[in-house]
Amino acid sequence: MEIRLEDVWFTYDGASYVLKNINLELANPGLYILIGPNGSGKTTLLKIISLILKPSKGRILVNGVDYWGLSDESRQIELKSRIVYVHDKPILLRGSVEYNLKLGLKLRGDLRVDESLVEYYIDRYMLREILDKPASKLSSGQAKTISILRALILNPEIIALDEPFTFLDASRTSLLIQDLARIASNGSIVIIATHYIHRELKPHIKQVVELINGEISNI
Amino acid sequence: MTESIYTVTIRSIYISSIAALIAFMSSIALSTIISRLSRKYVEIVSSVFEALVGVPTTVIGLLVYMLLFPKGPLGALKLIYTPYAIIIGEFLVAFPMAYTYMFRHYYTRREKIRELVLSLGCTEKPVFKLLLRELTPILLSAYLVSFSRAMGELGVALIVGGGIEGYTNVLTTAIAIQTSLGNYEYAIQLGLILVSITVSLVVVLKLLGERVLWRLD
Ligand SMILES: Nc1ncnc2c1ncn2[C@@H]1O[C@H](COP(=O)(O)OP(=O)(O)O)[C@@H](O)[C@H]1O
Ligand SMILES: [Mg+2]
Repeated sequence: MEIRLEDVWFTYDGASYVLKNINLELANPGLYILIGPNGSGKTTLLKIISLILKPSKGRILVNGVDYWGLSDESRQIELKSRIVYVHDKPILLRGSVEYNLKLGLKLRGDLRVDESLVEYYIDRYMLREILDKPASKLSSGQAKTISILRALILNPEIIALDEPFTFLDASRTSLLIQDLARIASNGSIVIIATHYIHRELKPHIKQVVELINGEISNI
Repeated sequence: MTESIYTVTIRSIYISSIAALIAFMSSIALSTIISRLSRKYVEIVSSVFEALVGVPTTVIGLLVYMLLFPKGPLGALKLIYTPYAIIIGEFLVAFPMAYTYMFRHYYTRREKIRELVLSLGCTEKPVFKLLLRELTPILLSAYLVSFSRAMGELGVALIVGGGIEGYTNVLTTAIAIQTSLGNYEYAIQLGLILVSITVSLVVVLKLLGERVLWRLD
């Protein structure tokens, strides 16, 4: 899968542009880093890449197809289902940890659910004991872990993670870095927005994109 | 001959629960519509409804009376002094309350759930269902708050219902009428019933909430 942003501009309020003239190509599998100071537009750009926000100007080509220009809704749904985004502040719903963890699978009615993958993550991140706990009772780090894994078990071809390591302790950070590196080397595009590049992440990085004030400063 | 406390109570519950149900459904429908509008309209509608919560029930009763009395615009429907007139009036009393109670939650949670659903690679289709599930405790309280408000109001029931024994007499009208007749013991019993119904509903809701709803998977 590949995604290309052509001349993308974005504004929330119609007055000032948060993203300016973005040209970006994520054509090959690998681990990409989106770096930049607070307020530089990382979250906004990730949401545009994940097809959650529509650019105010410009085009997004997914596998060469102009996504927002598509009139075929089923084609749009199909493309969108292969891209997921993980919020920097986890959004969990009322219900158990297990309900939240499997929410994506349930919503998509995925036929190709990989139960062994779900079990793998449950064991790896030691979630077995908290599966029945109400999600509202989780610590920030646990909530963050659940929201990340909820996306990973969907086996997406493109996964965008917004500040994934905040709230995670050192051991979970290491586990996650290994998982993301593995996913990237297995053919997915992993793009991580962060304001600082973790040491353990460095050997796995394919490319760093720097965003300053809504503009890409170097690739 | 005064009516049995039992039939007055049942009639009260019947009328108020229907009025509250209509107010509740209307609030969900209106929240759905308003939450799609721009922030400006959201604020306007919310302020209007917050203001409407404070309108005295006698004024609402008067308004409904003007609509329904024999020579009024809806006089031909012959609804004045029927339980239906009270239902209409109590609906108007409960609606702003139910809406105000649920809208903030509805609005903020809807946005979050929409973001979540989209982030998981889905379309917006499951948002409404997830939202109802997420807000179940809030929605239940909104219903009960409207129900209590409808049960406890006097203005509408008296003006458009008339407190006719065996027909439109409800707990509040019975209390007012019996007190004016000097039938204090009976009035006090009615008052205790009214209060215990509304209080016990709140208690049941709290227990139910802690035991069941918050754990729903
Ligand atoms: N929902 C929103 N409405 C209006 N402005 C927003 C919204 N979200 C972000 N912004 C603004 O857009 C700019 C970029 O924000 P963001 O993409 O969150 O940056 P970053 O993730 O790099 O910190 C900021 O100036 C921020 O205030
Ligand atoms: Mg951000």
